[in-house]
Order: sequence, then structure tokens, then C-alpha cells
Amino acid sequence: MKNLLTFIGLAAVMVLSLFLAVITGDYGPWYFAWLVGTTMIVLISAAGAIMFERQDEEQLRKQGSNH
Amino acid sequence: MDMLINPTVVELSRLQFALTALYHFLFVPLTLGMTFILATMETVYVITGKPIYKEMTQFWGKLFGINFALGVATGLTMEFEFGTNWSMYSHFVGDIFGTPLAIEGLMAFFMESTFVGVMFFGWERMSRKAHLVVTYLVALGSNLSALWILIANGFMQDPRGGTFDPNTMRMQFSSFIELIFNPDAQAKFVHTSIAGFVTGSMFVMGISAYYLLTNKRKDIALRSFRIAALFGVISSIGVITLGDALGYIDGQKQPTKLAAMEAIWNTDYNTVSASWNLIAIPSRAEQKNVFAVSIPYILTPLLTHSETTVIPGIIQLEQEAKPKIVNGIKAMIALKEYNADHSNTQALTTFKQYENDMGYGFLAMQFAPDQDLKKINATNLPSVLDKTAKDTIPNVWVEFWSFRLMVAAGFFMLALFAFAAYFSLKNEIEKHPGLLKLAMWSISLPWVAVEFGWITAENGRQPWSVFGWLPTFVSASTHSVGYMVFSLIGFTLLYSSFIAAELYLMFKYARLGPQEDHHGHGAEPAGGGMAGQPTFAKLSMDRK
Repeated sequence: MKNLLTFIGLAAVMVLSLFLAVITGDYGPWYFAWLVGTTMIVLISAAGAIMFERQDEEQLRKQGSNH
Repeated sequence: MDMLINPTVVELSRLQFALTALYHFLFVPLTLGMTFILATMETVYVITGKPIYKEMTQFWGKLFGINFALGVATGLTMEFEFGTNWSMYSHFVGDIFGTPLAIEGLMAFFMESTFVGVMFFGWERMSRKAHLVVTYLVALGSNLSALWILIANGFMQDPRGGTFDPNTMRMQFSSFIELIFNPDAQAKFVHTSIAGFVTGSMFVMGISAYYLLTNKRKDIALRSFRIAALFGVISSIGVITLGDALGYIDGQKQPTKLAAMEAIWNTDYNTVSASWNLIAIPSRAEQKNVFAVSIPYILTPLLTHSETTVIPGIIQLEQEAKPKIVNGIKAMIALKEYNADHSNTQALTTFKQYENDMGYGFLAMQFAPDQDLKKINATNLPSVLDKTAKDTIPNVWVEFWSFRLMVAAGFFMLALFAFAAYFSLKNEIEKHPGLLKLAMWSISLPWVAVEFGWITAENGRQPWSVFGWLPTFVSASTHSVGYMVFSLIGFTLLYSSFIAAELYLMFKYARLGPQEDHHGHGAEPAGGGMAGQPTFAKLSMDRK
């Protein structure tokens, strides 16, 4: 049941996203650009932070193997 | 006969609105940017489960909260100002202009204000994912708030979605869709919102640089610096390209703004080799640049994105305005006659014939004898035409230099963010104290850029409050000079105290920084079990 609800929820998000993309793509290309661009900025910055954690762990491992 | 409109009152009204708007916009961009940066930090917290990102969100959230409260306080007065100081404007376009402002208050601001409370006090009352959704809703709400305001501003720059009704003497809605999808509003929203992202990024990066230079909570500073540098470099690229798009759109609708922005006095029909003024000293009196450093072959592609489009110069634009002024005078006289007698169909027909130029008739009023267009005759018409035509051009010196200062600040920040992101990604940022110092001292730069950006946009719109339809000088209320001086001083003192309070609190809490880890470590349970308490990260690498 939980899986079904999750599926329905995600499907609704997809339909809404497509609807927004079609409407804003036709009438408001700059609004659409903002939606896509902001999402990209957030995701790349978050990826940078997660990359920082990997670099951090790597450095810690190197320090550990030196001792 | 008493003057209908007192130019001193108009100038004081303009000064008051400019001051309150510029003060207000000291707070807005940080809110626009910080909300999404907080959402980014919290996203990493939810993905990785590392409590340090929650601590970062809470710490930067505190600084955001100070700014948010003062931003709201300064924004409210501006909406009232339309009614008190710009009553003719409010009457003329209130039906259209008031709608996005009302939606902003009822939808975006209520959404943002409600969820900001949940964001601050909901850490221990909801799951991590639910809290993250709330933080995103705050970010979305604050930017939606900006969207509706900029839709209203877009109408002032390029009036779409409304028609003038001679019976009510005001503009009325014809299309809500045209209003919200106005290209000027769209480009202005994305440019302004992303400029807010740059402001938030520089704020976080600069303060993080200060912590790195003073060995304060490097665990938080390094992570914040990384996020802010990446956020900033992409946003800077975005704000520059979107600014170019906005300039292109504005240039098509407001050629006077474009010509003033680039100090182009004479039309150069040799479009390929037309020169772009890198720097210039424009002289309004002499109608030329008394000094200029120009680069050939750049102007046309830079401004028009083509090599063949002719860019009209100021002198040509003044000449092109004269027939519109003549038509506008006819439209305004006919409108006055129709208003005196609504059965006068001849007057209505004449008005309809010249309706599109009625704004130029309004504009000519200030140069007509006793501000009465009917007193213009064959003798004084050339003088009225010359003065009115010259008045269609905004202040070139202000436009040219405010635009250049904004652009220079934008490119400097792009370079700074690019180096900062590069060295941060290489984990070598601490090896470059010079860059850290530069980041710290550049914190105020985005504010310089956005303030000059607004001066470019609004000075360039002059002499109109609604471009082509309603001049600024007929938009103001008929207050006394004393009233305007009194309220101007009051606003200046009040807003200055807000700025002083913001700076004091920001410096205090930024210097204080995130609290040190004195209480031991421990992983935080999902769902924010330690929420509401200061959260202390177990550092995987001690950089102190």
C-alpha cells in the first residue's frame, strides 16, 4: 500500500512538472529557465558539499595510514 | 493661476520613493539568496545525515532571520507610499498595478511568513524531510514574493494587459495572462532573483572566509565556503547572461533607456563598425560625450545580438518623439472635452485616433503655459516640443555610470567566485589568504551591484512612471513641500535606524559565529531528536 501511495505521489509530481514545463515553456520561457536553473544551482552546490565529505574522508584515511 | 503640479513636490516624492526602495532593497536580495542556500545546506543534511549541516543551517538561518524581519518592516511602508505620495498613479493604474501587489501579500508573503516560523521553531516538531520541505517553501515563498512585485514593475516598464478607459480616466485590466507573462517582468524576475542568490553567496562566503582567517569553526567555515562558492559562481554566470537578456528586452521597448545606458547621442548607420563606449563623460547640454574611450565593432552585436540592427541615438529619439507629442496634445485636449461632455462623440473619436500617444500629451503639460495644453499655440508650440522632446530622455550621466558600476561589480564577483570555487574544490582555499581576505572585503559588493542595477532600471524609465502612458510628474500626490520634507526626514531617520540595527545585529552574531563544540559528540537520530538544541558535529577531520 505504501509503495502504491508513493507511486501515485511521484506520478502526480511528474504530471505537475510536465504541466508546468509546457505552460511556462510556451508562455514564460524565463520563468521556466528560473525553475530549471535554480534547481541546478541547488543540486550542484549540494553535490559540492557531498564531494567535500568524500575528500574529507579520503584525507582522514591517508592521515590514518601514515601513522 | 496656481501651478497644477508643483515640481518640487514631485522631486521630493521621487527622492522619498527612491530612498525607501533603495533602503528596502538592502534587505531583499539577501533573503532571496539565503533561503535557497539554507535549503541547500539542509538538503545535504537530509542526504548525508551529518549533523554539522543542520548546525550550519541553523547558524546561517539566524543571520537570515535578522535580515528577514527588517526586510518585512521596510517593505510594508512602500505599499502605503503608492497611496499617500503617488495618488494619481494609483488612480490611473491601480486596477492593474494593485492586483500583483495584493497577490504578493495574500499568497507569497503569507506563505513565506507562515513557513519561516515553522522553519525556525519546527526542528523538533517534525521529521527531517518534512522540515526540509518547509525550508524549500520559505525559499519559494520569498522568491514568489519578488515575482509578483517584479510583475508589477514589469507593467511600469512595458505596460501590457491593460487598456485606458476614457470614461473612468484610468487603465483597466484586459489580460491577466499578458500581465504575468510580460517579457520584461519575466526577465527582470530571473535577473533579480539570481542577483539575490549572488548576494547570499557572497555573504556566506565572505563570513566563512573571516572564520577561516581567524581560525573559528573551520569545520563549518570550509563547508559553508564550498557551498557558497559553487552557488555564487553559477549564479554569477546566470545573473550576467540574464542581465544581458533583460537589457535586450528593455532596449526594444525603451530605446531611450538603451541610448542613455550606452551614451549614444548620434545614430551610427554603419552598424558593423559602431563603437561601444567603455567609459564616457556625457554632456546633456552639449548633447555629446566630452570624453570617451570607445571600442569599435562591439556595440551592435552586444546590444542587439545582430550585426545589422541600427541603434537610434538620443538626438534621433528626440526628433522621433515630436510627432508623438503633437498627437498626444490632441489626444489630451480631446479627452478633456469628452470628460466635460460625454455626449461629445467627436471628441471621443479624436481621442481614440491619438490615444496611443496620450502619454506624450501628459508630458507636454509641464511645458505648456499654466500647464494648460489649450494655451499652446503656433508661437509657443516649437518651444514646448523642444522641451518635451528633451524631457523624454533620462539622465544620461546617471544611467551610463550606474549601469557600468553594476556590470563591473558583477564581473568582479564572477572572477572571485570562480577562483574561490576552484581552490575550494581542490581543498586548497586555506593556502590562499589573499583570496580569503578579498572574499571578506567583498561582502558589500553585491549590494552595490543591485542598488546600481535598480538605479539603472528606474532612472532609465524616466520621465515615465508607466512607460509611454503616464509621466512621473503627473503621478504624484498634491502634498505641500513641508509635508514632503517632514515625511522624507522621518523615513530617512526610521530606515537609517533599521539599517543600524541590522548592521549591529549582523556584526554581533557573525563575529560570535557558530558556538564551539563543548558538549561532546554524537550522531543525531533521524527526525531531529536533538532538535531545538544546539547540534554539535563529530568532526571527521580537525582543521582547527
